[in-house]
Parts: sequence; structure tokens; C-alpha cells
Amino acid sequence: MSFISGFFTFTGKELMELRRSGRLLIFIILFVLLGVMNPATAKLTPWLLKSMADSLETSGITVTEYTVTAMDSWVQFFKNLPTMGLLLTVVMFGGFFTSEYAKGTLIPLLAKGLSRNAVAAAKTFTMLLVWSAGYWLSYGITYAYSDYYWDNSVVSHYAFAAFGLWLFGVLLLCCIVFFSSFAGSSAQVLLGVGAVYVAMNLLGMVGTVSEYLPSFLTRSGELLTGQAQPSDYSTAVLISAAASVVLLIASIPITSKRRV
Amino acid sequence: MSNVLEITGLCKHFGSKQVLSGVTLSVPENCVFGFVGRNGAGKTTTMKSVIGLLKPDGGEITVCGERVTYGGAKTNRFIGYLPDVPEFYGYMTAREYLALCGKVAGMKSSEIKERTDELLRLVGLSEEKHRIKGYSRGMKQRLGIAQALINRPKLLICDEPTSALDPVGRREILDILKDAGKQTSVFFSTHILTDVERICDRVAFLEGGKVALSGNIEEIRRQYADTAVEIQPENPADAAILAEQFADGTLCDGCFVLENASQENAEELLKCILENHIAVSRFERKEPDLEKMFMEVIGE
Repeated sequence: MSFISGFFTFTGKELMELRRSGRLLIFIILFVLLGVMNPATAKLTPWLLKSMADSLETSGITVTEYTVTAMDSWVQFFKNLPTMGLLLTVVMFGGFFTSEYAKGTLIPLLAKGLSRNAVAAAKTFTMLLVWSAGYWLSYGITYAYSDYYWDNSVVSHYAFAAFGLWLFGVLLLCCIVFFSSFAGSSAQVLLGVGAVYVAMNLLGMVGTVSEYLPSFLTRSGELLTGQAQPSDYSTAVLISAAASVVLLIASIPITSKRRV
Repeated sequence: MSNVLEITGLCKHFGSKQVLSGVTLSVPENCVFGFVGRNGAGKTTTMKSVIGLLKPDGGEITVCGERVTYGGAKTNRFIGYLPDVPEFYGYMTAREYLALCGKVAGMKSSEIKERTDELLRLVGLSEEKHRIKGYSRGMKQRLGIAQALINRPKLLICDEPTSALDPVGRREILDILKDAGKQTSVFFSTHILTDVERICDRVAFLEGGKVALSGNIEEIRRQYADTAVEIQPENPADAAILAEQFADGTLCDGCFVLENASQENAEELLKCILENHIAVSRFERKEPDLEKMFMEVIGE
């Protein structure tokens, strides 16, 4: 069976699996909630501050009138998605490859001539598809509410900042593909991805290196206020994209040698 | 008659353990071939090498005349494989799973539908509407045979298809395999010798990483024809009379046993019984059973 038809057949199987196991539904619901939460939190801020005003006053803080703008909503977006959104995605897909190897469900299909590369490609594509769908859905909801209640034009470069964060997510998913090519369990895969994440953050503390690191893409505060330009992020974007491709390519020979 | 599967000098080790050290065997067309060996003898290793899931250290495997390569084995288009504990996608129905297998095997959808109906009838799952996750072990095993047969393979490889099943399930699987053997060659491993005796035409015993004995079951039986005659007289003392006349015979538990008895020996024994008026409660010509042969082969 050719790689292409194997890829499409297996992608169909993956989507059916996500749908029937209910994981797709949960994933979409959570990302819709993540999307709604951002404008909702912004909207509720004045009310929250007012309700806390008395207790704050006794501790010496005076609450002045606070005007909410679209900025508050977008700040929430760039706070929630890199944390909860990414964590959710990585945890959901941590065992996407390894569980099949562990259970042995691939063996009958591989014995029929399905190519391992087609399997890996279909799984990678499905992960990217689901991540993108959830992510941009969340983005769309935040965008629509923020524009409806306030005005998105006061926020700079939110679309580019969102692209950067999405790309960072893609990189983490490619890490899953890479670690899954040799790891035996989802725990090992998650550990690997976690280690990469921590390593990037530690390296990021070294002042000069930080802007070359993919994790730089998750720091969008200055972009939103217009203090930074998209061009400042070009190195991080290039490195993230290149690293993703390298991880995928590196996983091919390892996967093909893997014992199933 | 050409050979569907030929294995020559297959070697494989895992770490320091040499599992296979020169396995050589061949499976002809339209034959049910039993592959017998103890647990850990290397049966699964051999089978996985045939479907290109394991990389052998040495030796050659050909399926329908084509050499098997590790990884994306092209020869798999001739093969249907049933793993020892088959695992399927529990969220699919049997029909959906067979459709997936058919697509992977590169079949047309009309062909898949037709073949699916046929196979589900064969394995007795055509009325089953539930998803696979609720299946019993026997049902999974039957579905496993159906998926292995979907693309009309020339060679059906089953890894211990009966070992985890109850007697009813075992009988069903054996009947299905016997049926399948009319259209394709079946190469199945087992450690249950009665299964081999029931359905196989040929057999190979794997021991010490090599094929210790292989061939047509009838021929092997004849070759190993340890056709002893055992006589149990009503009065145990009479056994001694027979022992006097036949020096090769032995006495055991009041019985007289003559090993490797020819037809003439047997006639002479009967004559002797008549002449000496010995009352006999049992006169038995022993058939060589596979178990005895197997024990002999593995040296126990």
C-alpha cells in the first residue's frame, strides 16, 4: 500500500478514534471555554475590583475607576493558552503513539503492509489538526467577543502573537513525535517534552540567548502594547519552525527501527 | 507443488540469548502446517521474522518466491497474520475494523464489502453488532482470523491461536483454520499437540533454536513408528510365559510389552496366546502419539 493512501486511511482511523472515545469533544469544549474565559474575565474585572474595594481599602489600597479594554481580554488569552491550553494538548497527545505500540494494535495493520511512516505522518497530522482547530477556535471566540464589547484596534499585533504561540504548540507536538519514536510509555514522552520546556525556560534566563529560543514566542506582552515588532521575533520563529522539521525528520529512522 | 514459505538457516538473538540458530523449514501450498515448540522456543520470533517485524541476524526467508525484507516487507501482501494476543481498536465494530484492514491491504470498497460478509459468516460474527471492546477472547481470536484472511492471502500465519481459549472456543478456531486450509496454506504455532493431530498435514518441532523434526505427519508417525504391542493377561503370572517366548519383550505391571513389534511379531504373539490358553483382558497395538514423539525430540 502506498504511503499516501496509508496516510489517508490511518488519518480517518485516528479521527474516528478521537471522536468515538469522546476526547475530541472534551478537547473542543475545553478550548471553547478557554476562549470564552478571556473576555469574560476582562468583563468581570471592574465588578471584581468593586466587590473587593472595601477589603482592599482597609489594607491601604484605593481602587480607582478601572476602564476595561480589549487589551485585558487579549492579555488573558496570552496568559491562559500558553499554560492551560498547551498543557491540555500535550497531556492529551502524550500517549498518542506509545499506547498503540504498547497495546500492539498496529501489528495486524503493519503486517498488511501499512507503512510505519504513514502511521507516524497520520498521527502527526491529526495532532496538528486538532491543536490548530482548538487553538484557532479559542482565538476566534476571544477575537469576536473582544471586538464586540470593546475594540480590538487598541491592541497591536495580536494575530502575529497568536501565530507565534501556535507555532510554539506545533514545536511541542513535534517533540511528542520525536520522543514517541523511542519512548515506551506516555509518561516517558511527557517527561521528555517537560524536560525540553524546562530547559528552554532555564536557558531563557540567560539574557542574550532568550530571544533565539522558541519559548520567546510565548512572551507576547510587548507585542500587544506595540513596544516590540513582529520582526523582533523572526529568529525565534525560524528556529522553532526549523526545530520542528528536524525533530520530525529525526524520528523517521528511529521509528522504522523500533521493535513492535 | 511449490512452497509458499521457505525459511533457510534463520538465526536471531536477543541480547546474549540465542533464540534461533539456523531454523530451516518449508510450507507447501494448500497445507495446514503445525509449528510446535515449548514456550520460549522461538515460535513467535520465527513468525515475526516472516512478516518482517523482526530483523533476523542471518538466514533467508522467502514467501511465494520473494525474499522477505525487514521493515516494509512487500511480501506481506501474500500473508495474513494473527498475533498471539490480537488487539484491535475497541471503538470499532467488526465490520468497520475489517473495512480498515481491507483498505490498508489496498482492496476496492465493493470487494471489501463482499469479503467482509463472507468472512464474518465464516468466523460466526455476522450477527454481532456491538463494538469490539465488549468481545470475549474467543471472539477476538475469530475476528483476528477474519482480518488475517481479508485479502485472500496465500499464507495464513497464526501465532498460538488456540492457547488461551476454552475447549469450545478452541474447537471453533480449529474448524475455521481447517476450513481456511482448503484455500490457503496455514502456518500455525502451538504447544497443544492434539490441535496438531486434529488439523495438520505437516508439522515441525522447534527445539534448541532449530527444527528438530519436520515433515508429513503420517510419515513422521511411520518413521517414529514405535509401534509397541502391549498385552495384559487376566492372570498377571501369564505374562511371564510370553516373556519366555519373546526375549525382546519386557514385563511391566503385570503386562507384557514388545517394543517395535512388526506385523509378524504381532501374529506370533497371538498364536502364542492361543497355544498357551492365556486369557487376555487387553491386547493393544500402540499408536505413536505426537506427545511421545515431541518428548523424544526435546529429549525428555
